[in-house]
Amino acid sequence: MWDQYNLGLLVVLISGVIGFLALALETDDLHRLLLLDLAEITTLGVIALLGTDLAEALVLPGLTVGIAELLALSQIYITKEQLKERPVRGLNIEVIQKADAPMIISVILVVYGLLLSGFTGGGVAGLGLVFYFMSRGYKENLNMLEMASGISWAIWIFAFFIFMFLPQYWFIALMLAAVGIVLKVTVKMSLVGTMWGEKHD
Amino acid sequence: MIEFIGGTPYYILEFGDELVYFTPYTITLFLLALTFTVLVIISRPEKQVDIAFGGDAYRTKEISLTEMRFRRYMAIACGLSSMGAMVTGDIFNFTLFTAMVGITNVGIVAAVKSPHVQNAAYQYGLVALSATVPLFAGAALYAASTGSLSMVELMRGSLPQVPLIAKALLVIGVIGEGMAPFYAAKAEMFRAPGAPYVIMCSLSSLLIFLRVIEIVMLG
Repeated sequence: MWDQYNLGLLVVLISGVIGFLALALETDDLHRLLLLDLAEITTLGVIALLGTDLAEALVLPGLTVGIAELLALSQIYITKEQLKERPVRGLNIEVIQKADAPMIISVILVVYGLLLSGFTGGGVAGLGLVFYFMSRGYKENLNMLEMASGISWAIWIFAFFIFMFLPQYWFIALMLAAVGIVLKVTVKMSLVGTMWGEKHD
Repeated sequence: MIEFIGGTPYYILEFGDELVYFTPYTITLFLLALTFTVLVIISRPEKQVDIAFGGDAYRTKEISLTEMRFRRYMAIACGLSSMGAMVTGDIFNFTLFTAMVGITNVGIVAAVKSPHVQNAAYQYGLVALSATVPLFAGAALYAASTGSLSMVELMRGSLPQVPLIAKALLVIGVIGEGMAPFYAAKAEMFRAPGAPYVIMCSLSSLLIFLRVIEIVMLG
């Protein structure tokens, strides 16, 4: 067991060193940002190597912080390079836009995600929605989705308060947390896939 | 009563995962962060004035109200996360607060239009982002070697010794968030106008460095 941990740690550290080497050699600002994201993943590897429930709980904030910094930096990069218009559309492939296949694949992913529940389920279901929105070039006001994300997050936090203050009702709290997180991650991921930074009124 | 490096704790709050304690050392740092946050909230920002040498000409830099509001918000967030880093008794929470200080530091100067400042902020952000790698890795090694992230447990002395590499990674991570030798990019960021807010960048990394010294001496 301990040997496995050491071996895993060695592999992760070597990949970290490779990532940082690439980072040191690269001179283009945008590529450095992308490489940094790659190097950042080794952090999650080190945390995940703990292999306990705690590790699962720690991977999420680690990931969130990484993404937050990445978003902040890309925003600065855009201002720095004075990039104004960034027309990004969905997959502009006629077959995908017209055919039923994306719909079927998305439905399978969403249903499977709902069955999985929790973070993983949210991720899988969100991926399905992202794929659907991307293939259809979806244009819609996403404020409702943002609101749903906020409310499901509140449900999740509320469930944690039940865990803390009324531990005898743990089952309802567990269900609330599971539903809250699956909605939250799904919505969040579909937003990431569709909000290209365009302005909504 | 357990004896901390920073003195006998006045107060320990252990509530679920949350662990907060105040020792004479941390309460000093906490009050310092609190004072500066209050200063940021109540003070009126400066207006930078450039004076042309050899003449009476000078020009003030106009900064829009929304930009100043955003910068004040980020400075307050930076103060709050520094305060959190000062009082938390959990290694991983400390690393999270440190990473958040890095983000808010970038945010304080992100709205500045000057390309010079933008560039410095971007370079600083790259360093801060890469510093989260050793930071979180250090915290994970703490958990792997001792089985606990609680500073109170570490201080009780019943846990195994923390390996030196974990402490070193934690310190490297904090250094990356804005201590020398990575201070250079940050110093360039201070060219941004808006005096009480940019000072928060400097103060927060100083406070966090003072705190990490206590943490590595614990276990």
